Amino acid sequence: MSENTVKCVKCGVALVLTKTVFQYMGRSFTHDVPTCPKCGAALIDRELAKGKMAEVERQLEDK
Amino acid sequence: MKRLALKIKEPQSADFGTTNSVCPVCRELLEAKRVLRGDDLYLVKTCLEHGTFDTVIWRGVSDFPDWFAPTEPAYCPADNNGSPACFSGGLCENHATGTCCVLTEVTSRCNLHCPVCFADAGNAGEDVPLDELTRRFSDMAARGNTFVQLSGGEPTVRGDLPEVIRAAVRCGIKTVQLNTNGVLLGQSAGYAQELAEAGLSFVFLQFDGVTDGVYEQLRGQKLLETKLAAIDSCGRAGLGVTLVPTVVPGVNDGETGAIIKFAVSKSPTVRGVHFQPVSYFGRTAKTPENADRITLPEVMRAAAEQSGGLVRLSDFRPSTCDHPRCGFHADFAVLPGGSLMRIAGKKAQDCCGSSTAHLQNREFVARRWTRSREDEKKSDCCDTGTLDGFLTRVKSHGFTLTGMAFQDAYTLETERLSRCSLHVQDSGAIRPFCANYI
Repeated sequence: MSENTVKCVKCGVALVLTKTVFQYMGRSFTHDVPTCPKCGAALIDRELAKGKMAEVERQLEDK
Repeated sequence: MKRLALKIKEPQSADFGTTNSVCPVCRELLEAKRVLRGDDLYLVKTCLEHGTFDTVIWRGVSDFPDWFAPTEPAYCPADNNGSPACFSGGLCENHATGTCCVLTEVTSRCNLHCPVCFADAGNAGEDVPLDELTRRFSDMAARGNTFVQLSGGEPTVRGDLPEVIRAAVRCGIKTVQLNTNGVLLGQSAGYAQELAEAGLSFVFLQFDGVTDGVYEQLRGQKLLETKLAAIDSCGRAGLGVTLVPTVVPGVNDGETGAIIKFAVSKSPTVRGVHFQPVSYFGRTAKTPENADRITLPEVMRAAAEQSGGLVRLSDFRPSTCDHPRCGFHADFAVLPGGSLMRIAGKKAQDCCGSSTAHLQNREFVARRWTRSREDEKKSDCCDTGTLDGFLTRVKSHGFTLTGMAFQDAYTLETERLSRCSLHVQDSGAIRPFCANYI
């Protein structure tokens, strides 16, 4: 996804890739996510949620 | 049952409940009582014909409360001989856990003659015909059992082992594990590559210690160089190796930490260590005393105390797909420099007892014990504080410490047997592992 193609619905400004912290089960990870430079809202798209985020959750959870 | 068990009275002991077990001599079902003495747990049972048997099953109860969490009752009925039904007929309708892995013996021949061998294998014996193995693989796959352990005897003595592996893959088996002493892998250049090309997923390597004295005592000869060569061969072939020590008190329980450190140094080829406290079935030298036994908590403690801070006691979790007291696991990734990054945490609700626990475990061990060459190529440049870096490193350098306490006729608790997810398939029934070898 190009960061210029999506705008914040609240602020109307284009999202920019921003290093964002994810926390799960006591661990923290960073990842670049399209984020509104004005209000800070981050867009987690389906690909990230069902891809890397889900995979990290699976790895962290006890078997 | 033809005989009635005596009621056992232990007035000085705390009561940890009763279970069923068997007489080690006649194999008939008996009532057995778990008795706490000090901080250690014993299994006490009496056969009217063969006497009382009093066997340590857990040394150090208070440090391991999670291994004593309540489990759903599980009951194994008697067969016509008065033994547990799964001894003869296989998994019964009461069996509480699905199949995680299926072990099948491809031969009864072996190229070692170890003083201790649960399969009682030797130089004589027979190979299971390839068409019979193919039938078993098809049957497993049809039941959804797609993780097979090729065992024996020593599977590599079969000249057609690559063809056996190809047959398993053709039948729909997704994960093929080889249980081996590593002698041929270490001696024969190119053999590991041949097995890998046939479709082998990873190797479970008998690896009892890091000194030759251990092998001389347990296997009757010096084998360390052979083991190291086997690991190197697998490394070149892209095969993951999990080291499998049989832990015997006074022989190699002092090498627990050294084995872990060695395993870490061989990451990513070596994917972990799977400890098996010695059990007394198959070929053993004598009737075991309690001093001849080492229990799971002692192995965990030894790992924590001897590993120089690499491993902590709190890293270990109970088995979630078998009975809790059948096993432990700890989950890491090896970082550049050789330290361990802890991965798995404690879920709010364990999967123990759920209908999919065996499937979760199957997926977990296959994921951890299989190498990912693609991730290995890029793993050293990655920051594990990022999503991408973490995933890459876990897949390239995943490392597990696991343990499984096999039950013999002295330590058997049928409620543990009823929760077994490691099953053995021969030409007939599918049995819980311990029921097959007792």
